[in-house]
Amino acid sequence: MTELREVNLQRGTSYMTKAWRRFRRNPTVIFGMIIVLVICITAALASIFSPYNPKEMHYGEVYAPPSSKYRLGTDELGRDILSRIIYGARASLLVGLVAVSILTGIGVVVGSISGYAGGWLDNILMRITDMVMTIPSLFLLIVMVSIFRVRGLHIIMITIGLISWPQMARVVRSEFLSIKERSYIEAAKSIGSSSLSIIFKEILPNAIAPITVMATLRLANAIILEASLSFLGLGDPTAITWGSMLSRGHLVLRRAWWVATFPGIAIFFATLGFNLLGDGLRDALDVRM
Amino acid sequence: MGGLRDYTIRRILISIPTLFGISILTFTIIHLAPGGPLRFSLALRGNIPVEYLLEIEHRLGLDKPIWMQYLIWLKNILTGNLGTSFIKEVPVIDLVSLYTWNTIKLMLTAQILSLIMAIPLGIISAVKQDSIVDNVSRFVSLFGVSLPTFWTGLMLIFIVAVKLDLLPVFGAHTIGAVYSSPIEAFLDQLSHMILPVVVLAFSSAALITRLVRSSMLEVLRQDYIVTARAKGLKENIVIFKHALRNALLPVITVVGMSVGFLLAGATVTETVFAWPGLGRFVVMSTFNRDYPAIMAITMIVALMVVLSNLITDLVYGFLDPRIRYE
Repeated sequence: MTELREVNLQRGTSYMTKAWRRFRRNPTVIFGMIIVLVICITAALASIFSPYNPKEMHYGEVYAPPSSKYRLGTDELGRDILSRIIYGARASLLVGLVAVSILTGIGVVVGSISGYAGGWLDNILMRITDMVMTIPSLFLLIVMVSIFRVRGLHIIMITIGLISWPQMARVVRSEFLSIKERSYIEAAKSIGSSSLSIIFKEILPNAIAPITVMATLRLANAIILEASLSFLGLGDPTAITWGSMLSRGHLVLRRAWWVATFPGIAIFFATLGFNLLGDGLRDALDVRM
Repeated sequence: MGGLRDYTIRRILISIPTLFGISILTFTIIHLAPGGPLRFSLALRGNIPVEYLLEIEHRLGLDKPIWMQYLIWLKNILTGNLGTSFIKEVPVIDLVSLYTWNTIKLMLTAQILSLIMAIPLGIISAVKQDSIVDNVSRFVSLFGVSLPTFWTGLMLIFIVAVKLDLLPVFGAHTIGAVYSSPIEAFLDQLSHMILPVVVLAFSSAALITRLVRSSMLEVLRQDYIVTARAKGLKENIVIFKHALRNALLPVITVVGMSVGFLLAGATVTETVFAWPGLGRFVVMSTFNRDYPAIMAITMIVALMVVLSNLITDLVYGFLDPRIRYE
């Protein structure tokens, strides 16, 4: 057993080194990573970076075009758009992280049980997964949010997590199916390891790569989902989010193009960053999905 | 051909429980709403006496146990009765059929357009890997998957319609227009369709281009391609006859499965362009808490997705005999 562990460990190190080398050499990944880092830093230090309080209204300067005073202009209440975009990074990142944590949790549990147990349990779980996947997530999100009359950002991100786990469950399940046939699992079984110990100590650590890639790509998706919901006017009315800024700007495009344009660019860069990172991780970790 | 027939029957039988499951799921969610669906939507109309409420609830069968309500609803839906819209007070089926047709028009056109763009681009990208064409198409398609559709829509409205005044941006036809011929009506609708279709097609094309490229790259590395080249076949024959056929198999799956993706994209796109389709209808019904309508739309969407998955699988089974015998 110790021998097996050691072999595993050694292979693990060289695999990670190789992955890191591949990751570093890819310029698009570096670009993605820079975007993600910029968003994280902006969100963390929003109060330092933003020139104004994002909720402060300048009544005399409603719909002021971009200028040296307001770099990206002001909205219908004279609030500084740049400051609101900087604070909006917090909401988007938070939505992404919370939703992804939830969907990863559910996806890993469902996928592990399904892949490890097989049989009727696998059948039932996969049918449920199919069902949730059948209704487009934005549709499901709209229906859930409207029925439970929830508009708070925290509820919205939890809901996004609760409805977007099926893809994760499928990836985890297929990893389990292939890993559980390997000889070291056979070895672990033969020395009497319990199912839980095999799942947590042997299989899951070997499935980390596809889970990470899926989580990164789902994060981009969660950000877009929240933005779409806010854009449709069903988001949290009190939170500062890119989607709700865009939604308000949508109606005054003719008069003040900057109100909708800049939050849109912010959403685009955030999604692009996570997509690039996810793509790069997939190539570097050599994951097929 | 027996294999194919058995496969088809088996595949159809599998999709029925899925639809049932979705209907139970949606029905339960809607009835979990605080105060039940009716009180919830009537609350929007101000104070209504309790006796009156109870009477309506009794008339609509909302005082029965939930499983009985579900069975009644199921019986109705199987006979084509989707209920009456709480808000518009007309049969939901009249509304839904009109909106569904509008959405299908938009989605179908967008999907065809995106395939026309994506397949050749994906092939060129893969065959000429790392060339300028490949890099540009990868860049553009990455943009396409990351751009939020509502924002692309807004920018198009701003540039094409507001600044250049080239195309109409709202609705499915010009309001108050009188057409002298069906052709004129058709052209009017066509001009209204251009922008939303372009937005939908662009995001879907981005996804498909990436897929065709990666699938083609994988096939080009296979032994049989090396063999085909080694025996001196022309490059065109190798690519179109040997590689493309195999590379398109996963693409068919994704195109079929992307109906759900397109429907979700349609929700926002239809709202941006005020296109009278299912997506816009669900948003409106949600605002009005029109439960029979929401329930009907969810089922129609689920049906569309299940049907397209079914057709995809059947096409796949037809093209790839290995699938049927699993």
